[in-house]
Amino acid sequence: MVKRPDIRLIAIVAIALVAVFALPMLTSERYLLRVFTFVGVNVIIITGMALLFGYAGQVSLGHAAFYGIGAYASAFAVLTLGWPWVAGVALALVLTAVGGLLLALPSLRLKGHYLAMATLGFGEIMKVVFVEARPVTGGPDGLSGIPYPTLGPLEFDTAGTAYWLVWGVAAVALLLAYNVVRSRAGRAMRALHGSELGATACGIDITGVKVRVFVISAALAGLAGALYAHVVGFVSPSTFSLHVSVLLVAMAVLGGTGSLAGPVIATVILTLIPYSDAVIPGLSRTALETIQEWQEDIYGLTIIAVMLFVPGGIGSLIRRIFPERGDAG
Amino acid sequence: MGAVELLQFALAGLKNGAIYALVALGFTLVYAATGAINFAQGEFYMLGGMLSVWAYAGLGLPLPLAGLVGVAMTALVGGVFELLAVRPRKDGDLLAIIIITVGGSMVLSSAARHLFGPLEKALPAFTSTGTVSIFGAVLEIQSLWILGLTTLAVVALWYLYNRTSLGRAMRACAVNRDAARLVGIDPRRIVTVSFMLAAALGALAGLAVTPLTQTAFDVGPSVGIKGFAAAILGGLGNPIAAVAGGIVLGMLESMSIAFISSTYKDAIALVVLLGVLFWRPQGIFGASRREKV
Repeated sequence: MVKRPDIRLIAIVAIALVAVFALPMLTSERYLLRVFTFVGVNVIIITGMALLFGYAGQVSLGHAAFYGIGAYASAFAVLTLGWPWVAGVALALVLTAVGGLLLALPSLRLKGHYLAMATLGFGEIMKVVFVEARPVTGGPDGLSGIPYPTLGPLEFDTAGTAYWLVWGVAAVALLLAYNVVRSRAGRAMRALHGSELGATACGIDITGVKVRVFVISAALAGLAGALYAHVVGFVSPSTFSLHVSVLLVAMAVLGGTGSLAGPVIATVILTLIPYSDAVIPGLSRTALETIQEWQEDIYGLTIIAVMLFVPGGIGSLIRRIFPERGDAG
Repeated sequence: MGAVELLQFALAGLKNGAIYALVALGFTLVYAATGAINFAQGEFYMLGGMLSVWAYAGLGLPLPLAGLVGVAMTALVGGVFELLAVRPRKDGDLLAIIIITVGGSMVLSSAARHLFGPLEKALPAFTSTGTVSIFGAVLEIQSLWILGLTTLAVVALWYLYNRTSLGRAMRACAVNRDAARLVGIDPRRIVTVSFMLAAALGALAGLAVTPLTQTAFDVGPSVGIKGFAAAILGGLGNPIAAVAGGIVLGMLESMSIAFISSTYKDAIALVVLLGVLFWRPQGIFGASRREKV
């Protein structure tokens, strides 16, 4: 059934797009732009996590590892091998996609939630590798002096241009995910969310669909890493810890199932919590410190509360406001 | 490498293996009752050490009593966590429970940081800081305590499982929840009891280790992952296999230090975890099962 596009929806998306891309013209405050650049990097990762959790019904506890592989691969390629940034991004995409495939194939063949455990183990192994593989990763100190992203003559060397680059990639990633969701693969995912048995009976290769979604999500995390490393100019193992993987799960869970807009909203909210001073003018230093002191509790309680009281997350709330949108979007 | 050195590594492996075994038993108990993995299991290990330190140094209780208070309070925390966060999810959806325990793990470690601060805490050795010599290899007295307490816990658990009506009810629930309900067992009560027992076992491990390694609010996840690897190695859901998995994992780690290097010591457990998940997900001691549609 073809659904008429909702005018309100198109308006909201258009306003959001304009607002996002106009930000660097409205403010020149570097801190604010930096913070929202982080939000954009997280949105890229969450786009993949939203497909994985919200559509394929799988959870990964190791996406920080793919994030890290992307960051280190691209930083190493540019710093040590002297490759252009684009080649570094390509290396990050290839490594994370292949890594995702090798991890997903054996663990998704099995029934149950083996992927959660396999990704947890994988993430912890990579944490050790990031610290110990000094020639590539710089050990516990990490790599610094990573040059800004460049595309031919273009150099994204200001807070504003870096912001545009990251959000431009995030918009493309979201568009890609939107097309995946509305394609045959997306219908297959919705079918297996309803009933794996029923989906199998309809001739859907559920393992194949899940593996493909996982590979996409791993590659998107790698892409985000390749952006992060060059925008920040510095990477170290602590950026890619289990803690970050769990934070990503919190964003996906709060964002909810069967939705892309929900996870994006959740990512904006949860990423901004430790940087509240960037969006709340005049927030006192002690108030900010209190928020940062309690952020772990906020994330943990959010995860539990959503699973108990709003299992569909923000996505299900959006569907209540726009019921005619069905499952996609 | 001489025989004495090898024995030294084997003893260290046995000691660590006993700790992994206790944590693995916790995973196994909750898995048997719910079918889900409790990612907060490592936090029970952390709480066992932290609460015992609090009872000993804060309340001034004698050490044996402080340890008992630490383990009992952790068991209580485990039960309350189940009642407040797991039981309300009535459909028992496995993915939901797994995610809830991930959130619970964050909340528990953060709560410990708020209550006890970010610094490392220590306990004195249970009896003496001395060592004994076994065929030339040196072992701390505290390690004997660890091995003894683990043995005691395993025997007690075996007794509970095989000789009491509660244990029979737990085994019945693990086999078939609905059938257990039909014969008058309340599966919800079994889940709560399993969480409490799992918490107590984890806490015992954390308590016994604290005099040797100290403890802090953030030690939970890494021990949790190793205990989980041990449980998977043995085969989830089988207590004896979990203990065996723990010992095997401790030995593997120790031998990898002896023969390879200590750099990737922490990765051994994870490589074992992934290897078992990929090639023998039922564990080395588990019977091969066919999945039926």
